[in-house]
Amino acid sequence: MKLDARRDPAVGDSRTDHDLVYAARDGDTIAFDALFYRYRDGIFRLGLAITKDPSAAEEIVVDTFARAHRALARLEPDASLRPWLYRVAVNLSYNRRPRKGLVLSSLDDAVDEALANEDGSPSHVAERAELRRLVLGAVDELGPKHRLVVVLHYLNGLNLTEIAEVVDCPVGTVKSRLHYALRRLRTHLAAHPELGIEPSRPLIATGPRAPKRVTAPVPLEAE
Amino acid sequence: MKLFSRGCESRQAAYLVGADRLGARERIALEAHAASCTECADALRNSRPVEVALRGAFAPLRERRTMIAPGRVRLAVGPRSVAATNPWLRAPRFFGRLAEVSVMVGVTLFAVGTSLDSMTRQAPSTTTTHSVVRDYFRAQPPPGEIDYVRWLSLLKVDASSTASDPVGGGFDYDPVEFAKGPGAPR
Repeated sequence: MKLDARRDPAVGDSRTDHDLVYAARDGDTIAFDALFYRYRDGIFRLGLAITKDPSAAEEIVVDTFARAHRALARLEPDASLRPWLYRVAVNLSYNRRPRKGLVLSSLDDAVDEALANEDGSPSHVAERAELRRLVLGAVDELGPKHRLVVVLHYLNGLNLTEIAEVVDCPVGTVKSRLHYALRRLRTHLAAHPELGIEPSRPLIATGPRAPKRVTAPVPLEAE
Repeated sequence: MKLFSRGCESRQAAYLVGADRLGARERIALEAHAASCTECADALRNSRPVEVALRGAFAPLRERRTMIAPGRVRLAVGPRSVAATNPWLRAPRFFGRLAEVSVMVGVTLFAVGTSLDSMTRQAPSTTTTHSVVRDYFRAQPPPGEIDYVRWLSLLKVDASSTASDPVGGGFDYDPVEFAKGPGAPR
């Protein structure tokens, strides 16, 4: 007997998010499972990039979809589901982050497991790991808002409009944050010539700001 | 010492050329501008290696997968009742709730209404007219034994108590006038 691929959510459902949300609203658990399998890994990576803890990232996945399940009736299927899910995941991730004072592991610690399976000569693997550590270290030094934009774009592959929906701000703000982040990263990474990034040129300046001339004489107190 | 930059306005667009999927026309316009602007040319030239470095750094993380099953979400959500999915099955609960609310509103209105009614009734009671019937019943002896004795002691000495029955068609003493109580007929 041939198994219907459309009914097996792990294989991949060909239906759109819109159809799946409507079906899940009617109690179709397979449709909800299909949504889960579609966005599970992306949300896991986002949680991992923010919390740097795989078990916390898995809990974030579960909590995000539990919220989605409860909000099925309120979800607007015409709007894109992906930014909504990522927004919930970002909020949950920042709530789970350890408070100030605790030492966070670096972002590159989260990729160590993946590096173990990398092909190539040991020296080549070590070189690539070193470069990766440099770049991720520079990303870690960004502020949270700029880091989030970078992670959402370069890790999760969201476009600028989707990022604007996730972080709830105008697209212009997202562009500005990404521009700032890229400039900062360029400044950081230019110190390593193996990356092939030129140091940024100094800004053209008009020179020191001249002190304001006081035009009106200061009245002296009567002696 | 403060320096304020005079950066080109197109520099942001030059940095975001990879992220902000520009159209062909916009891309040509930007490159034409960069030919005459050193700042934008520098940004265009160096944004690409930064992007490549970022994509390369995130590549292993992008390959990471999780093996969580959707059953964990169902466990987190808890058992979902059939009534929650079917609106018709929720109707009895709705009507039950409606009955509860209507009874609650009715009792509240009754309580508020009666308290207002008693307030409005108390006001004219101060100006009620003298009731002969009420006085008559007040003048009646109480049925309880002790209360009756007390009542007697409170009463004035009534002439009727000293009068005896007439004997031989006449009075054996001078009849006294009956003391008129408050409920006595006129």
